[in-house]
Amino acid sequence: MTTQMRAFTLFSALFAVVYVVCVEMNLALFTYHPRLGQWDIGTVPARTGPAMYWFGWLASAGLAAFLATLLATPLLRRMGPPVWIGWAVPLASMLAFFWFLRSFFLR
Amino acid sequence: MITFMLILHGLAAVVLLGGLTHQALATIWPVRKGTGAGGGGAMANSFRGVNARLYTNANIVLYLVTFVLGGLIYPAYRLAVRTWIENARLWSISGMFEVKEQLLAIGLGMLPLYWLLWRTPADQPLDPQFASARAWVTGILCVVVWYSFVAGHIVNNVRGLFGQ
Repeated sequence: MTTQMRAFTLFSALFAVVYVVCVEMNLALFTYHPRLGQWDIGTVPARTGPAMYWFGWLASAGLAAFLATLLATPLLRRMGPPVWIGWAVPLASMLAFFWFLRSFFLR
Repeated sequence: MITFMLILHGLAAVVLLGGLTHQALATIWPVRKGTGAGGGGAMANSFRGVNARLYTNANIVLYLVTFVLGGLIYPAYRLAVRTWIENARLWSISGMFEVKEQLLAIGLGMLPLYWLLWRTPADQPLDPQFASARAWVTGILCVVVWYSFVAGHIVNNVRGLFGQ
């Protein structure tokens, strides 16, 4: 298994886990206010109209997973996660969202 | 402009759906040479009897294009459509969209691994663990795109389907 394969496997799993954490704890790198057409750095409450955090969650998860994979690269040259982690963790994260969002379907 | 982008978003999704479905079926349920094609009708056999590797880059580009277009029209959805859906108390429809955005986001993070798993040259034998991972990743992305396509269509047509 190459270092690149290990790194991409780790990134895939980390992105999914960090994304779930970012959504559930509302850790957005930036916030968009669609009514105002304005962007804010960080997680900012809604002002006029709703606030959108999805773009910020994506950026938070992408940046955190990228940096963590980059930091782990020296270690990945010697050892790494099995490749199934790269699909099993994202799949589990997707299923977790059905659970987190179940209230929409149970009202 | 929003309508134009919405139509482009939908068209890109249709092509992506076709590409991923071809690739996923060819990977998970391949046509076996010399065994009567392994069951299924002639049409199903030709649908899954494609060179799956050829779809990879196109699927990645289409996923990214569809994703970006979806992101561009998302604010309009948030302001107008979601408000209408919530006022109509169509919570399951709203939930379908919430699930869609989370599944697609996680799918986005799987794209680098998906690309790498399909990079192995066709003439080289693939390690069984990579072959299994390739089938899973492609299958998951296919299911995510199918779900998102159906959910997006229902949300797009919500007033026609559920409006009074």
